Amino acid sequence: MGRIVVTGMGVISAIGNNVSENHSSLQNGVSGIGKAQFLNSKYANELLFGEVKLSNDALRSQLNVSNLKGITRTELLAFIAFKEAVENAGLSTDELKSFETALLSGTTVGGMVEMEAIHADANTNQAPSEFVSSYRSGAHTLQLAKAFGLRGYTDTMNTACSSSANSIMLGARMIKAGKCKRAIVGGVDSLAKYTVNGFNSLQIFSDEVTRPFDANRKGLNLGEGAAYLVLEREEDAQGKTIYGEIRGYGNTNDAYHPSSMSPEAVGVRGAINGALQTARISPSEVSYVNGHGTGTENNDYTEVHGMNQIFDAVPPYTSTKSFTGHTLAAAGAIEAVYSLLSIQHQEIYATLNWQTQMPEFNSKPQTEFVANAEVKHVLSNSFGFGGNCSSLLISKV
Amino acid sequence: MFIKDLSCISPQKTFEDDFFGTEPIIYTGSQLKAVEPSYADIPRSQLRRMGKSNRMATGAGMPLLQKHKTDGIIIGTTDGGMEDCHRFLNQIIQYEEGTLTPTNFVQGSPSSPAGGLALMSANSGYNNTHSNKGLSFENCLMDADLLFIEGRAKSLLVGCVEEISQAQYRIETLAGFIKKDEITSDKLIGCGTPGAINGEGATMFVLESENDNALAELVDADMISYPTADDLVAKAKLLLERNGLAVSDIDALMLGYSGDSNSDHWYDVFAEQLFPETGILSFKNLFGETPSASAFATWFAANLVNGKSVPSQAVHKPISGELKTILIYNHYQGNQHGFVVVRAV
Repeated sequence: MGRIVVTGMGVISAIGNNVSENHSSLQNGVSGIGKAQFLNSKYANELLFGEVKLSNDALRSQLNVSNLKGITRTELLAFIAFKEAVENAGLSTDELKSFETALLSGTTVGGMVEMEAIHADANTNQAPSEFVSSYRSGAHTLQLAKAFGLRGYTDTMNTACSSSANSIMLGARMIKAGKCKRAIVGGVDSLAKYTVNGFNSLQIFSDEVTRPFDANRKGLNLGEGAAYLVLEREEDAQGKTIYGEIRGYGNTNDAYHPSSMSPEAVGVRGAINGALQTARISPSEVSYVNGHGTGTENNDYTEVHGMNQIFDAVPPYTSTKSFTGHTLAAAGAIEAVYSLLSIQHQEIYATLNWQTQMPEFNSKPQTEFVANAEVKHVLSNSFGFGGNCSSLLISKV
Repeated sequence: MFIKDLSCISPQKTFEDDFFGTEPIIYTGSQLKAVEPSYADIPRSQLRRMGKSNRMATGAGMPLLQKHKTDGIIIGTTDGGMEDCHRFLNQIIQYEEGTLTPTNFVQGSPSSPAGGLALMSANSGYNNTHSNKGLSFENCLMDADLLFIEGRAKSLLVGCVEEISQAQYRIETLAGFIKKDEITSDKLIGCGTPGAINGEGATMFVLESENDNALAELVDADMISYPTADDLVAKAKLLLERNGLAVSDIDALMLGYSGDSNSDHWYDVFAEQLFPETGILSFKNLFGETPSASAFATWFAANLVNGKSVPSQAVHKPISGELKTILIYNHYQGNQHGFVVVRAV
């Protein structure tokens, strides 16, 4: 069995509505974090968010689905990125319809973004809202399957902030084991009153722009977005642009606490080691780490502590969440796209807003954009509540 | 894959009592609540803090994790702690986004049961949660199968949990998926009215890559969404073919008849087109409908191929001969269709 390669990418986030806009923002150090314009929450003006710069109406008209009912913002974002990815890979209608095409996607908030509608549907006896079948986890995957005529394997994963890293991992594993020929993998989350209040109750929001890996970091900025990759076997990808290879993956549970990570970094080390082992590369071969880097006290300490134990010399590491905010279930896929851009263009993106070295460690994150970098192997980390830690090793082909 | 051990909390007496030796419970109405055990092994302080899905997943899963050394935990759940989730949602509205406590938010995440089981059993192995409505259990089986193929696991805890939350129950009722007329569960199939009856529970399996005194074999699973009848039959034929099975090798179909007049026709069509001579078993008249109902069906089928006697309520079309191989075909709300093949060892 040959390599599992990426032949298509699609992304929408606070720093752009497609791959090329995201790339340009990353190169130029342009953050997408600010006041939220479309989020319906009292915190929209109090806190900072990485919001996609399009209203639901604008997303609908871009997709040409203005007449479709019951499509949530989560689904609109997923449609945009999914469409870009499959067009980019040049998948035909027949290929999309094939039993051999799988779709694996992650989300946490899903259709619960329509909180007022849920509350009305759950508590009154009025006629059902247009979103009545859109709330439960899995709804966006079903909408994608229906709209694009998919008839193969479908899966929706929810391991909180590592969801889409797990969907990329499982898609690659399925192809490798011969369970399907190609997989469209990724994830989506939209800014929602539900998650804004959830994370607020956990007191992990920063009231300023997030400062990942900084000694004085105060927490995260919540973001939204979606990203999808098309994975194929290298032998089936002849003549296509190959962006990189999903070479390694690790998944472990920290088994420490429902919503924070162990000081020993058990899960972090397990995930990174798993990715290195399946990729069959040594730690010293990693060119760059796209960190989870949420900007919370707990994550950034644990992540760097874990890396220190694995790497003799920690490779350049960054958190692109300083551009996009923390996009929860979409983060693993969005950051996989950024890792692939890094490989394709041989460059490393900055960590924005960084000022002060963390006193516990000798290393500091990459804070400037590096053009003409040598990027062969990128490690991308995603860690979630419930102890769910996953890492991907994405390589140049 | 092989089923080494299993446990089930369901609307029937499947956990502590011998479900197969007693008359099934007959329910009236559209909510079949789980018969919960006393959870004597879970510390009271922890039990009090758990929502129902976490409680049931822990109650069914922990005894298996204590008895068997497992390399990871894979859970399927669509709603997770939906009651907690709606409690949190209601607080957001009631207190106008004021300062809230995070307990319900954290417990309401679908990943909470898998994380909780890992935490309680100090299992830092592979951990994943599939939250894909009616195919969540089939997703778990794919995930487990891959770990076995890759040689990354020899033994895994794999299972599903769903709770009836009153909010989701009302939403599903509004959407037309729950019966509005009060019928008794023994008269469910063929009752001719729209909607299903809601069940809940936790079904857990210890799956192993090798047959080491296993209870049953999980031969294979497959799925399709939004099929035509032809697609469905084609998919089932592929499943049989790649496992070297002929139609005559299937001793019984276990079909997900839910009593929903809008979608039960799929089962009639499937049986008529591919298995006209085969006996048929039902299970939702015992366990109710949940997004991961095929986990109940697999627990049921594994017991039957292992020699347990078939409850008369489960016989939809009489079976002749020994029950060695059962094909489970289940769909959720007519959109997501899944297959699981269970065989005697």
